[in-house]
Amino acid sequence: MMGQAQKPMPEILESLEGKEKVVIMGCGGCSTVFHTGGVEEVDIMEEILVKEGKDVKKITLPFAVFACYKPFSSMFIEKHKKDFKNCDAVLMMSCGDGLQTVRQILDEDMDIVKPFYPAINAMGVSGGGPSKFMEKCQACGECVMGRTAGICPLTECAKGLLNGPCGGTRTDGKCEVDPEKDCAWYLIYERLKKIGQYENIDNFNEPHDWSKSVTPRIFEREPLDIHKHLARTKKVIESLGI
Amino acid sequence: MEINSNLKRVLDSKKFAVTAEIGPPPSVDSKIIKKKANMLKGYIDAFNVTDGQTAVVRMASWATCLIAKEEGLEPIVQMTTRDRNRIALQMDILGIAALGIKNILCLTGDHISFGNHPKAKGVWDIDSIQFIRIVKDMRDNKQFESGDKMDVAPELFIGAAANPFADPFEMRIKRLSKKIKQGVDFIQTQCIFNINKFKEWMEKIRDLGLHEKVKILGGVTPIKSIGAAKYMKNKVPGMDVPDSIIERLSKVPKEKVSEEGIKIAIETIQQLKEIEGVYGTHIMAIEWEEMVPEIVKSAGLYPRP
Repeated sequence: MMGQAQKPMPEILESLEGKEKVVIMGCGGCSTVFHTGGVEEVDIMEEILVKEGKDVKKITLPFAVFACYKPFSSMFIEKHKKDFKNCDAVLMMSCGDGLQTVRQILDEDMDIVKPFYPAINAMGVSGGGPSKFMEKCQACGECVMGRTAGICPLTECAKGLLNGPCGGTRTDGKCEVDPEKDCAWYLIYERLKKIGQYENIDNFNEPHDWSKSVTPRIFEREPLDIHKHLARTKKVIESLGI
Repeated sequence: MEINSNLKRVLDSKKFAVTAEIGPPPSVDSKIIKKKANMLKGYIDAFNVTDGQTAVVRMASWATCLIAKEEGLEPIVQMTTRDRNRIALQMDILGIAALGIKNILCLTGDHISFGNHPKAKGVWDIDSIQFIRIVKDMRDNKQFESGDKMDVAPELFIGAAANPFADPFEMRIKRLSKKIKQGVDFIQTQCIFNINKFKEWMEKIRDLGLHEKVKILGGVTPIKSIGAAKYMKNKVPGMDVPDSIIERLSKVPKEKVSEEGIKIAIETIQQLKEIEGVYGTHIMAIEWEEMVPEIVKSAGLYPRP
């Protein structure tokens, strides 16, 4: 998931200065999990902006409906076309991926060109939950974890070192940069022992191939059969008695 | 390749080598560099210049090296992979070698969060071990990291750092052997205050025969004050300052603490001379370069070969 945190309210309000009619849009994906753009957060944002004297129209996306997936978000955008057309600004309560997907739908498919402002700062590909999350992946395009005991040193080491720890590992196996964080190489070292691959520690890892992460990376994929997949999800939901 | 480095000459002759560190100024004050260089002249075989140590902006190591070199000393340029990618590093290597620098110390560099520009972006396109390999390929195979070839190769004696005191201990030996495998010629260690732990580390190195494959210079820092000792003990990760050192400094009158710190440094060097596989010492007298001559003389390392 995309780890994220809401921007400070004064920064959000400053970006909306002079904008009277505002559309706020949340996201049912990561932003719901991280409490930055779920239904409740969008409601709270609406309340704040109304108090600030704004004319607010809100769009909430239910859980597991991603703003960054065009077939999902376009259904909601279509319904609110008029609100978008009339607004002075759009405040996106999603990561930058959601913001740009929505912006692109409006720009390219609907010819509605509006200023967009982010309410959220994205903080990296993170896993965990329900309450504690940690950034785990750089999305570098060249995964090394087969050689590093399933722990990503590019992400978990503050320096992204590929050949063992720097000289600053603390005596308790913590990182010199932050005593709250584990030294990634300390973890790798311990885990290699446990999985019987201790000898891997002697291997030389070549300089990383960063050409795989030249942005923006563009993909072409066969479109998903949404109905088929949603039907499967429905079955799971039913089996859970929801 | 024939490397015309004075440091290499001294190490090859099996004489106990002495290097010292010059801290570059946080300004364009070249006079202070020349002053520091002249303090050290005749007492050392080569000098290091730190490269943005603790991620604080100071004069570039290579530039400081060239200014001090004019005073007749041999530089060891320190280069970290923190601020430059593999393209910039290789360009700088061509430049320093063309300007007559013969020694390089390949480092990862202190993290940006410790310095005075904490909002800067860390580069770390490569790590210090990969860096060693790149310099060696440039020198021995006339080859860039890309595989492209060059006509005239850089003539460089390749060094790296090692910290015998950081954890996990076993990993430290592994890191060193990795550096040796990738082609490092000499090692300058982290400051040694815990001589027993250093001896233990050297024993492991001898067991593996690594002391025959690389020239190790033991790092020594004279302690100026009890405050400095406590700071290093508690605030600098990877530093091992035993309580016995702090106790010893606490026992002498306040005005004699720095003198005692110098004594400890001299005793450490004398002990290093007795350890099999230690080829020299690297004196890091931080903002205290004027004490290096006295340390070198008292340790019985003067005159230099």
